[in-house]
Amino acid sequence: MTDVVKVINVTKTYGKKGEKQYQALKGISFDVERGEFVGIMGASGSGKTTLLNIMSTLDRPTSGNVVINGRDITKLKNNEMSDFRGQEIGFVFQDFNLLENLTNRENIALPLALQNAKPDQVEAKVNLIAKKLGIGSILEKYPAEISGGQKQRVAAARALVHNPAILYGDEPTGALDSKSATELLETMKDLNRKDKVSILMVTHDPFSASYASRILFIKDGKIGKELKRDSKSREEFYQEIIAELGRR
Amino acid sequence: MLWKLSMTGIKSRFKDYLVLFSGLTLAGAIFYMFMTLATNGDFLNDSLPVTSQTIRLAFGIGIVLLILITFIYIVYANSFLLSMRKKDYGMYMILGARTSKIGKLIFVETLLVGLLATLVGILIGIVLAQWVSSVLVSQLGLTLHKFIGFYLPALLWTLVFFTLIFFLAAFWNRRRLVKSKVIDLLHEDQKPIRLHHHPVLKNIEALAGIVLMAGGYWVMTQAMVFKANTIWIAFLTIVIGTFFVFDALFTGVINILSKNRHFKYHKLRSFTIGQLKFRLGDYTRILTVISLLFALALGAITVGLDFVHVTDISLQANYYDVQLYQDTPAVRKQLKKVSVREQTGFDYKQVKNKIYVSKEQLLNNQIKSQEFRIKNGQTEYYTITIKPEELVKNKLPDNASLNGLLALLPMGDNDVKVINQDKFNQLKAQNNHVSLLLVNNFKQNIKNIESLQRAGLPNKPSYELLRTGVKVRQFIEINAIAAGFEFMGFFLGIAFLAMLA
Repeated sequence: MTDVVKVINVTKTYGKKGEKQYQALKGISFDVERGEFVGIMGASGSGKTTLLNIMSTLDRPTSGNVVINGRDITKLKNNEMSDFRGQEIGFVFQDFNLLENLTNRENIALPLALQNAKPDQVEAKVNLIAKKLGIGSILEKYPAEISGGQKQRVAAARALVHNPAILYGDEPTGALDSKSATELLETMKDLNRKDKVSILMVTHDPFSASYASRILFIKDGKIGKELKRDSKSREEFYQEIIAELGRR
Repeated sequence: MLWKLSMTGIKSRFKDYLVLFSGLTLAGAIFYMFMTLATNGDFLNDSLPVTSQTIRLAFGIGIVLLILITFIYIVYANSFLLSMRKKDYGMYMILGARTSKIGKLIFVETLLVGLLATLVGILIGIVLAQWVSSVLVSQLGLTLHKFIGFYLPALLWTLVFFTLIFFLAAFWNRRRLVKSKVIDLLHEDQKPIRLHHHPVLKNIEALAGIVLMAGGYWVMTQAMVFKANTIWIAFLTIVIGTFFVFDALFTGVINILSKNRHFKYHKLRSFTIGQLKFRLGDYTRILTVISLLFALALGAITVGLDFVHVTDISLQANYYDVQLYQDTPAVRKQLKKVSVREQTGFDYKQVKNKIYVSKEQLLNNQIKSQEFRIKNGQTEYYTITIKPEELVKNKLPDNASLNGLLALLPMGDNDVKVINQDKFNQLKAQNNHVSLLLVNNFKQNIKNIESLQRAGLPNKPSYELLRTGVKVRQFIEINAIAAGFEFMGFFLGIAFLAMLA
């Protein structure tokens, strides 16, 4: 299997030279294989959001490299970066970040539209992903007219409509009730299993994390421990995560 | 697609845009209105007959002030526009929109909103200028000549100025957006402003602010010394001083309050303080602009009102309301339309270049004249009775009686002889009579009084000097100047107040 994401010795330091500096990431290296579902866990302030921002081109590392689908994103120029984002990366945020003034269909179509895709293609792709995520019936509604769980599905559809190399989730279940959260996680699991979508999810919730096939624990800007699910059931894995969290 | 997005973005935040747009429109309207005044040379020359340096300076300063305020206002509105759009644009960028494209988008959006607002503003300005001028004319009883709402040079100036500013604003917005990190765009509204705890610097700032403000106001009181520079010095020092004081004072007060635990944790206070801290930078700027706008509005209206006072003072420059030198049917007809309170007069005879008046007549009729002295920088008028014995000295300029008498005679030289009534009677020359009137309702009945005065002055070269010296003429002229300033004052005052809203 090939690596879809390679993180090589990434550090991130905040604050200017000569002033009080704070090192959020102290040299992190790991890989995500194609078709893998990786969870990143860590307490608040452990650096997991910083790591996600760097991996998703939203922020640049102080040193180190991030290679996604064979391209080193730390070396991309402005417009290349935009195009890269639009083609290779999908985002799901905790607070959905849907554009309230667009219908769900328009929201989902946005990444394609920004890449100047042909209208017929856009239509077909939106319908396809919406069907997969079970939101075909609410496409013509506005985000304000649907529930939180549905919003996150629309956001997920928007993140996946352009077939990105990797789907990033930043606490995607953080704003959902447990039923919606479970449904979303099940959907993500299916996408991962059936469509081989590579997923990297940052979370501090052990239940969400238990859907991943591998979990990296970040502590004080470094990768502490790594847990693999292998052939364990989700419930067993969940217990293992709880135990691991309790140990720290 | 992006353009469509941008448009739907505007539609969805229509209310916010409406506020922004109406503000910019108003700024455009006000600027246009001022320019109709400032660039309309015909109006200025006609209404303000004395196109002296002072008036030009006043307009110059008016323009600079307005440009500055408009500039601040637009910069402010512009940052509002940018902050409104940041999150959306951040989202577009995360979804793969190119930075350059987003840059273009904000550029065009800023320019479009700005220019549209300017055009609408000019339209409103034309209507408003016409309306305000007619209201001011009727309410304040001002007379304005050649003032029209639509004036092409004003329109062009406004257009050029605003286009320039919005171009700058558009460039600025583009730069800001392109330079900022996507992640910052997304979380723009969650970023607090850090309080810089540098007590020494803050104290210096507070002190500098107070010194600058005090200096500015002191310079204003010493206007006689600093002359035209007064306004510039005061303007700079007060603007900068105000900002410093607000900035330092606000930070200081908040810091002191948040250090005092007893105060801070009482009820909702910690919440309020937190809110204030979060938006401190914004508040400082808003407060500075508000206080300055208030100062300017009040200043402009005060100046406007003061010119009402100037007109009143001008009425005191002459004692008699009307001076009649002939008794024609036209004069008698016009006299019926004027209510005369008091009437006096005296005879005079002209022999060659000398004018003779009778000593007895002057004494009996108690002919009066207005004199003035400067007291505390203010002109103060007082009445004297012309004394024939002083006239004998026949010396100008410090002979008050002679001055007063000359103002009543058609020839402006000092060849006046005061003689006894007997001698006067024996003089072989045409006997002339000047009737001196005090009338009721001078201001209200000014049109009829002016007609009467005109009829009472013969069309001879020797009466030329009197034509400008009579009370009616002086009042009308000074009133015109004052009206110009009054109009400007109220106009600008209203404009600044509108900007505040």
